[in-house]
Amino acid sequence: MAASTWHRLRHDGAARGAAFVLGAVAAAALLAPWLSPFDPTAQPDPVALRLLSPSWAHLFGTDPFSRDVLSRVLHGARVSLGVAAGAMLLSVTLGAALGALAAVVGGWVDAAIGGLVDVLIAMPRLLVVIALVATFGTLSPWWLVALIGGSGWLTTARIVRAEFRDHLQREYVLAARALGATRWRIVWRHLLPAVAPQVAVAAALAFAAVIPLEAALSFVGLGIQPPLPSWGNILLDGTDYLTTAWWLVLAPVAAVSGTVGAALVLADRLRAAIADEEREA
Amino acid sequence: MFGRLLSRLTHAAAVCAVVAVAVFALLQSAPGDPFALALEGADVPAAVRAEWRARYGLDQPPAAQFVRWAGALARGDFGYSTSRRQPVAAVVSEAFPRTLVLVGTALVLGFAAGVWIALVQTRHHRRWPDRAFSMVTLAGVALPEFLLALLAMTWLGARWGLFPVAGVGSLGDAAAWPLWLRAVDFLWHLALPASVLSLAVASRVARHQRAALLSVMREDYVRTARAKGLGEWQVIRRHALPNAIGPVIALLGLALPSLVGGAVLIERVFGWPGMGLTLFEALLARDYPLVLAAVLLATVFAVVARTLTEFIADVVAPRRPQAT
Amino acid sequence: MRLLPSRWLILACAALGASCRAPDAAVSGGILVVSVGADAETLFPPLAVGTQSRAVTELLYDKLAEIAPSLNTTGDVGFAPKLARSWSWSADSLTITFRLDPRARWHDGRPVIAADVQYAFRVWTDSTVGAVQRQALAGVDSISAPDSLTARVHFRERTPEQFYALVYTLMPLPRHRLAGIADSALQNSSELRAPVGSGPFRFVSWTPRARLELASNPAYYLGRPGLDGVVFVVAAQGATVAARLLAGEADFLEQLSPPDFAQLPSDGRVRAVSYGGFDYAFVQFNLQEGGPLARPHAIFSDAALRRALTMATNRQALVRNIFDTLARPAIGPFSRTQWTADSMLSGIRHDPSGATRLLDSLGWRDDDRNGLRERAGKPLRFSLLVPASSRTRQAAAVLLQAQWREVGVLVDIEQADFNAFLDRAQRGAFDALIGGVRTSPSPRGVRELWGSPGPGRGRQNWGKWSNAVFDAQVDSALAASNITAVRAHFRAAYQAAIDDAPAIWLYEPRLFAGVHRRVKVAPLRPDAWWSGISTWSIDPAQRLPRDRRVPRAP
Repeated sequence: MAASTWHRLRHDGAARGAAFVLGAVAAAALLAPWLSPFDPTAQPDPVALRLLSPSWAHLFGTDPFSRDVLSRVLHGARVSLGVAAGAMLLSVTLGAALGALAAVVGGWVDAAIGGLVDVLIAMPRLLVVIALVATFGTLSPWWLVALIGGSGWLTTARIVRAEFRDHLQREYVLAARALGATRWRIVWRHLLPAVAPQVAVAAALAFAAVIPLEAALSFVGLGIQPPLPSWGNILLDGTDYLTTAWWLVLAPVAAVSGTVGAALVLADRLRAAIADEEREA
Repeated sequence: MFGRLLSRLTHAAAVCAVVAVAVFALLQSAPGDPFALALEGADVPAAVRAEWRARYGLDQPPAAQFVRWAGALARGDFGYSTSRRQPVAAVVSEAFPRTLVLVGTALVLGFAAGVWIALVQTRHHRRWPDRAFSMVTLAGVALPEFLLALLAMTWLGARWGLFPVAGVGSLGDAAAWPLWLRAVDFLWHLALPASVLSLAVASRVARHQRAALLSVMREDYVRTARAKGLGEWQVIRRHALPNAIGPVIALLGLALPSLVGGAVLIERVFGWPGMGLTLFEALLARDYPLVLAAVLLATVFAVVARTLTEFIADVVAPRRPQAT
Repeated sequence: MRLLPSRWLILACAALGASCRAPDAAVSGGILVVSVGADAETLFPPLAVGTQSRAVTELLYDKLAEIAPSLNTTGDVGFAPKLARSWSWSADSLTITFRLDPRARWHDGRPVIAADVQYAFRVWTDSTVGAVQRQALAGVDSISAPDSLTARVHFRERTPEQFYALVYTLMPLPRHRLAGIADSALQNSSELRAPVGSGPFRFVSWTPRARLELASNPAYYLGRPGLDGVVFVVAAQGATVAARLLAGEADFLEQLSPPDFAQLPSDGRVRAVSYGGFDYAFVQFNLQEGGPLARPHAIFSDAALRRALTMATNRQALVRNIFDTLARPAIGPFSRTQWTADSMLSGIRHDPSGATRLLDSLGWRDDDRNGLRERAGKPLRFSLLVPASSRTRQAAAVLLQAQWREVGVLVDIEQADFNAFLDRAQRGAFDALIGGVRTSPSPRGVRELWGSPGPGRGRQNWGKWSNAVFDAQVDSALAASNITAVRAHFRAAYQAAIDDAPAIWLYEPRLFAGVHRRVKVAPLRPDAWWSGISTWSIDPAQRLPRDRRVPRAP
């Protein structure tokens, strides 16, 4: 089933466009060291070259420390996308595992996990992450991945649990059990692949949620630390100069919105493809 | 019916207890002193600092502090805020209604606008209104909220002076103005933050609702309704919408916790003294009693809200039987 | 093109002839609106620590005498009479007799008497109240009141700053209102939510975190203030604080930051008034390794290395980048506005090649050419701790990081929220940090900040620097009684600190207040911009509608 969903998606124009954008951003991030005209942390002349408006030499101008904005945004892509991808993988894996556990084992495990979901869903995610960051103090990118990823598994868990419970009632599962297959084999062979497209949707959504979260964290001063550039802290540097040096925020805003938008469109089209698939099944 | 209600209530109480303990433990393990900010730079002898700690009961072991706090709570005493020098209940009773108004307005406006946009998009599916709105809602979801807020405040507020820059009311004696003028002034201060939030909400809702509507529009009974000769708008409003509203109501239920947490960043940028800003500042100031009270309030509210919305969803959009 | 919405509302009100307040007949002053970023935590003078608390309490309560504009703290030179109309010293300088101004009144009409001074002294030194500045009054033995308008202060010992310490800290409190309340209950008493003071302004109302309103005291014994009232409006976000001033909603901002400067309206509606500065910022090195054994720091226990790092720092460029012309490089552990300051002290000059040579000679070499110096396998790498709340310190950290990388030093910047920052600083859990100090008129604070850790000194010396010459000179300075000797000793102490480089003295921000053009201000004192506020006035020709809204108690 997943194969035909994939096939559907491949012929969807919007999905192709979104995938292209994401691919381009990812490529830019990977090739950043070669694409950047300057070293993103180099400050050639913090007095004379500070806050230059865009020119041929500096396509997006320079920041308050005379660093080239384009280079910073390219290198920032590495950090922001890296954190986003890492957090996404973590939350999706965690969510799928817990959702599967809740659905398959049931009973008190289900209730306990459900209770945990209830507790975490009551707090806005930004505040949870801020509280955790303020508590643990260390702000390396790895910690951020862990904290953000560890707080974002709720949706995936719900989706996986709902889908699993639905599938567990289906005939093919009952048949497999009658034939003697263990629960875990069924999970592995049948349920997980069946749920894969939904999880992909959740993954895309999780990805789209993490990038603004990192930006928000940097906005309150708790995100990625200098001199490591990230889209979030480039944005923060620019908020002091919104009316005077508008180019500082233009590049990171375009990058963030572009990536988030593409991820959301992809998630949308995937969801539509799944729905179409189910309709015809 | 009663049984389910009872089980929900006990469930809620358990959730609150767990949250309270977890947040308390988290705050205890955080480095930093609630009085650091107040005593910065001053020549404060250790004895004075110790006095302050003793006064607020911070010299006792964590378990004892928690028990003390829980006991007081049972008596209706929410404790004393170290960062605000006020009873916690006073702080919360001031801040909570403000967030309620801000986020409530944004949710109402946002949902109404979002649903309307989705309806228009469905009606003109694949034509230019659909595509135009799609781009707008995508932008609304993809752009970071705080940037929108900063831009609005800087340009519309500071530069062009169309709206006030911060706060809930104009300067001067609010008491001297007639009620209607105070109300207008309040609305004028509410306009910018609520608009920015509504934009974000409307975009999300529109996207969800559009997806739900489009999937419902392909159902058989819609085709039947069309065949019966009903106009397109009527088909959408009478047949598609009631069945598609379910997921959006669920979204409403999930969004309600933000009514208490508040749109932290928006409140910060616009200086709107609501629960989000209060909670954020209390976190940074290690103001344990205030953080705990706010978190508890958020949890209670969220659980109540979810129960309500699940109930409403069941009533408005009862489950259709699954196709086997 | 700017619209003026506040006028729109008032015009609407006026046009409808609605129940707006009719303007008072004898209108003078106008209302000063001050935009601040933090609310006063308390209006109880003994506990007023933060700048905002001090501002409000000093508007509400008068002191016995006011410090001179030159901020001299030795003897009583230049102090201006306030509640004390005159004072006289005993021959042995252990007793000062203050004669109170008979015209002075509390805001409820009762006269200010010597018993109020005695009461205040008792409250200030009572440990259950927990006054923060208790130490300042430690030199006072007792206060007697021979008659109702004479307060006789008995000191334990003669010190050059005994007058300053007493007068700068102590504010007489209304005994007739507060004596009935137990000391431990004072801080939260309802009496203090509507304080009665003796100053040029009366308390009207306080909405915590939002607005605090004061109205002028028409019966003020030194003459009615030129303003009708002062309103403080609070905003949490830095951008909002400034935006209020720039948008015309507020008239005064204590400190303009460099981005605010760039946004000053071009029509001259807001002007910048410079008034010196009392802060200085520095990079503080931790001379001890963290942990229980308190071993010397592997990198920073060597003074030569600290000097090398100072040589590698281009403070001029740093200051120019962050502040443009709004700050000056700091010279030593003092600010230029303190009376003991000396700008002729010789500092360590920016000399990158000298730094390179010095580092090489110390054994820190970059033999593998990877841009990072090493010695015996240990890289020259450390962390720099900065508070997340200070944008300027963060900017300084980024600039320093780049400057030091050019000489082969690798620095990791660690940001922490302010609470965590202070906690780590106090525990010594850092390699280097960027700290800032708001000094006071008295130079004695330098002993707490830079004196060797020990009894009576160095409690805020987080880097645990210890220098016998510095300590000795500071002690001599604090014991000397003539101004020349005091200055000479402090100069020597400062030079010792500069030479031994426990810190890199980064910058002293110049304070620039943002003032609306219709407000006429007196010269602003760096430690207390509000000190002359009773002489400020608003140009009658440029009054705004909001000047008519005199704060009145509900």
